[in-house]
Amino acid sequence: MKISLEWLKDYVALPQSADALAEALTKGGTEVVGREGRGEIPDKVVVAQILSSGQHPNADRLSVCQVDDGSGQPRQIVCGAKNYQVGDKVPLALPGAVLGPDFKIKSGKLRGVVSDGMMCSAKELTLAEDAEGLLILSADAPVGKLVKELFPPDTVLELEVTPNRPDLLGYRGVAREVAALTEVEANLSPPPMVAEKAAGEVVKLEDAGCPFYTARIIRGVKVGASPSWLADRLTAVGLRPINNVVDVTNYVLLETGQPLHAFDLAKLEQGIVVRRAREGEMLRALDGSEIKLRVHDLVIADAGKAVALAGVTGGAETGVTTGTSDILLESAWFEPSRVRKSSRELGLSTDSSYRFERRVDPSGVLPASARAAELILQTAGGVADTEVLVVGREARNLATINFSHDRCRALLGLEIGNAEIDAIFSRLGLTKTGDQWSVPGFRPDLTREVDLIEEVIRLAGIERVPSRLRGFPAAASVADLRHDNAEKLRERLRAQGFSEARTSHFVSPDALRRAGETPDDALAVRNPLGADQALLRPALLAGLLEALARNLRHGAERVRLFEVGPVFRTAGKEEATALALLCTGAEAGLFELKGGLQAVLGTVKFRPEAGLALRVTGMGIEGLLRRLPRALGEKFAAKSPIYYAEMDIDGWLEAVSAPVRVRALPKFPAVTRDLSLILPKATRYAAVEKALSGAQAPHLFSVGLKDVFADPSGLTLPVEQRSLTVTLTFRDEARTLTSEEVDRAVETLRDHAKAVLGAVFRA
Amino acid sequence: MREELVALREQALRDIAGAADLTSLELARVAITGRSGGLTRAGEQMRHLSKEERPEIGKLLHEVRTAIASALEARGSVLSAAAEEVELSQIDPTLPGVARTVGSLHPLQHLQRRAVEIFRRMGFALSEGPDIETEWHCFDALNTPPDHPARNEQDTFYLPDGRLLRTHTSSVQIRAMEKEAPPLRIIAPGAAYRRDEVDATHLAQFTQMEGLYVDQGVTLGDLKGTLEFFFRELFGPDTKVRFRPHFFPFTEPSYEIDVRAVALGGGERWLELAGCGMVDPAVFAQINDRRGDQAFDPDKVTGFAFGFGLERLAMILYGVPDIRMFVENDQRFLGQFAS
Repeated sequence: MKISLEWLKDYVALPQSADALAEALTKGGTEVVGREGRGEIPDKVVVAQILSSGQHPNADRLSVCQVDDGSGQPRQIVCGAKNYQVGDKVPLALPGAVLGPDFKIKSGKLRGVVSDGMMCSAKELTLAEDAEGLLILSADAPVGKLVKELFPPDTVLELEVTPNRPDLLGYRGVAREVAALTEVEANLSPPPMVAEKAAGEVVKLEDAGCPFYTARIIRGVKVGASPSWLADRLTAVGLRPINNVVDVTNYVLLETGQPLHAFDLAKLEQGIVVRRAREGEMLRALDGSEIKLRVHDLVIADAGKAVALAGVTGGAETGVTTGTSDILLESAWFEPSRVRKSSRELGLSTDSSYRFERRVDPSGVLPASARAAELILQTAGGVADTEVLVVGREARNLATINFSHDRCRALLGLEIGNAEIDAIFSRLGLTKTGDQWSVPGFRPDLTREVDLIEEVIRLAGIERVPSRLRGFPAAASVADLRHDNAEKLRERLRAQGFSEARTSHFVSPDALRRAGETPDDALAVRNPLGADQALLRPALLAGLLEALARNLRHGAERVRLFEVGPVFRTAGKEEATALALLCTGAEAGLFELKGGLQAVLGTVKFRPEAGLALRVTGMGIEGLLRRLPRALGEKFAAKSPIYYAEMDIDGWLEAVSAPVRVRALPKFPAVTRDLSLILPKATRYAAVEKALSGAQAPHLFSVGLKDVFADPSGLTLPVEQRSLTVTLTFRDEARTLTSEEVDRAVETLRDHAKAVLGAVFRA
Repeated sequence: MREELVALREQALRDIAGAADLTSLELARVAITGRSGGLTRAGEQMRHLSKEERPEIGKLLHEVRTAIASALEARGSVLSAAAEEVELSQIDPTLPGVARTVGSLHPLQHLQRRAVEIFRRMGFALSEGPDIETEWHCFDALNTPPDHPARNEQDTFYLPDGRLLRTHTSSVQIRAMEKEAPPLRIIAPGAAYRRDEVDATHLAQFTQMEGLYVDQGVTLGDLKGTLEFFFRELFGPDTKVRFRPHFFPFTEPSYEIDVRAVALGGGERWLELAGCGMVDPAVFAQINDRRGDQAFDPDKVTGFAFGFGLERLAMILYGVPDIRMFVENDQRFLGQFAS
């Protein structure tokens, strides 16, 4: 809501500065989110009337105008705008006028034709942020008058009105708020009211969406341009003046927050019906667009056709034009949800729908109509019927609220006296009866005690509440455990040189397929932002590949990323936590990653699967470690193989680690021997380790791999064989082993390896 | 014999003193104490001496041996120190260190960790809820009217079965109150989703942190104290915190929190960083209905709730110019959060 302070002054005395006002409003809960200063319009900009307009001889887009600037001598101006007619009054910057730091108007020639000044747009005069074409002034603007006298300096504040405060969508409401916040009296005189008359057959309400409708007939109006005070006020807040009747309805909408509509009575067939739209019914809106109505839309109709979309827009055919003589002025109350639905579904948001959606004050319907009638008579003449036609009832539900001062103080943690609280309520227009407070109709948001408590602190100011800080014991939750374990995991991964990534939770079926995964168990979003975000990710791979691609594109040769985050699946656990590691380039390899996972997760188990892949299990983990297919890497122009591990880790995250139990340190030294076994390449290391561990060699404590050797040339070792060197560690808890007994044990192991694995030993 | 020994000592000490490096010293040592060295030979001649001569010459021999040994050792240390000095002088200590790979935490995690630590010091426990939520948990229970714009298909992601992607982590408040009775103090970091077109300040999926405290006698003063403490711990003791009245369906009174701090760039501007308020009794009523008890009787307990977006906070705190950098995962960006 944009508020001109010049206009607002009509209803309330404002604080000294715009800053003070903005501060008061913001502290009161209505944030001032924008401010436009309309500075003084420069001297030497005058009202001029266009006397004639002709084509520029040398430029298709320009025209040459003769204008009257009040000097008695016509003045020739070359102009590029097209939005004027001969006879219009426009601002004219005379030679010498300074419109900006480097913008001084001079006499000169434009494409060979003399131009003795410049006709201005609203933007050039800083009256609007952007405006196409010339600013057309009101017809009664005196030629030769300085334009700065028509538009005195002003400040326009843009208020962010929260949805609970529809009363702030009009100047009178804002004035009331400013009065309450700054402790002054607002000047809100009521308009002259007339008697009400049941509308009988003239207006029929056929749908609950409109419980209250009023119509006022004014005959013999003379439709024309608005007087400048009216046109200027609308211009100041960014509205374009249309004609005096329409401008009055817009003006009263801004003044009171109650939207109004004026119909050309002659174009209405037999009265008004408020009903649902008919199947296939069309309405041409005021802006000329064709609206295809749906049966749940609420419309204003005459005997034959829809003439307005209730609360949203009027129809062009029945609108007020210069030919209009008699008008029907509508002021009504429409169900907010109905207006919201129509407005949203048709993509049509207007000043009117914006207010009806937020619930206008039913008790303001008749006063707004009276105010508009008053202004129409004043600006367009005519004669109003002595009575206003009324159907239905004001949907008013004036709340009365029980209020406890003690509960108020308890919730706020503020010592504030009863009298001060009561004074705050009085400032807000509430009235007290016994222990109950009655709420005025313009505050539909106040229905409960807590709503009133909020008002107390809003006006008293939260700065007065003393801050209190208390500590409490908190037992660790499962979420705490998960968080701590996840943090431990992240730190360990960081120490392994991995950077944490966070990829999108959305993914496309294509991206999944490209990553070699299936979209079959992915959950679909019904209304995604685009096809590339149609699914919730069932795994982290697609997102991390995208991150990889980005890093490769930017020249990274070494990529090490991990991610811990949710994945979503139709089968099994719907939301699981996954961990993924991706690496390529230096220090990337299957065994580096395998070792890294053990360092990070503990003693997980690896089981080989087809391809270069290992199933990872144990420690509450279920996943796969592998080298990604070369073809996949090529899609991302990866120069080196990509190693990738992904696993579900909820079990790991929720595991409580057992406390460490210290093992006694060995008292006697261990003896180690290396043993090289020459084996067929097909013999897996796991089989060797298992065979040696199972040989029952005395005192054998552990078997570890020391080296793998193969000779592709076949010179030192047949190509189909390899040599595995293992380190054997022997130990006895009770004594130092002798060299001889270790030798015997090694002999046992050699014999066993020969027998079980067919191993050969070099002499 | 005596004269020979004295001459041997003088010669040996001269040779030792004259050794210019460790190799010459070693040669000298061999010449003196080696298998056929002078001293060794002198020792062998002891047996040719008479009984009378032996004690005296033996004593002298011992003195000579000791003198030579200590001269060898002394000269050895000097030469070895000199050699080390030469060795060290040949190393360029200004060469760069050998690179060691250090990974990094995601900036949002970096910030989330700090936030969690601060709230934990005040006794908040963590809480979680699903990203895929029911409309009841996300809206109804939070006192959001049935035709509230936020529920619209244009603003909220829905699944075909009518569930939705939570638009805020406030749904975790509801999950927590369903399960547990007061006193309840939780924080809940997590993902939230809104159908915003992605640009420099918007993501369709972003990160929030939610907080809730319900107990007997919780006041607006507790809300103020807790959040002032949080922001001062996060941004430094000079931080100014302003509570600006606002509107949310699920709290009343409601506030937006503006913060001003040197850490946030200049400290002149108020930056809107969080929303908060006292839990609306209508939320408690929904919870009691669902639980079938009066654990959250609005006449007995009160509470406050708050929430803030981690991306916005991180953008301001770390000077990140574009919110999309958080999801691009460029290592050149991520690597800056290695400390």
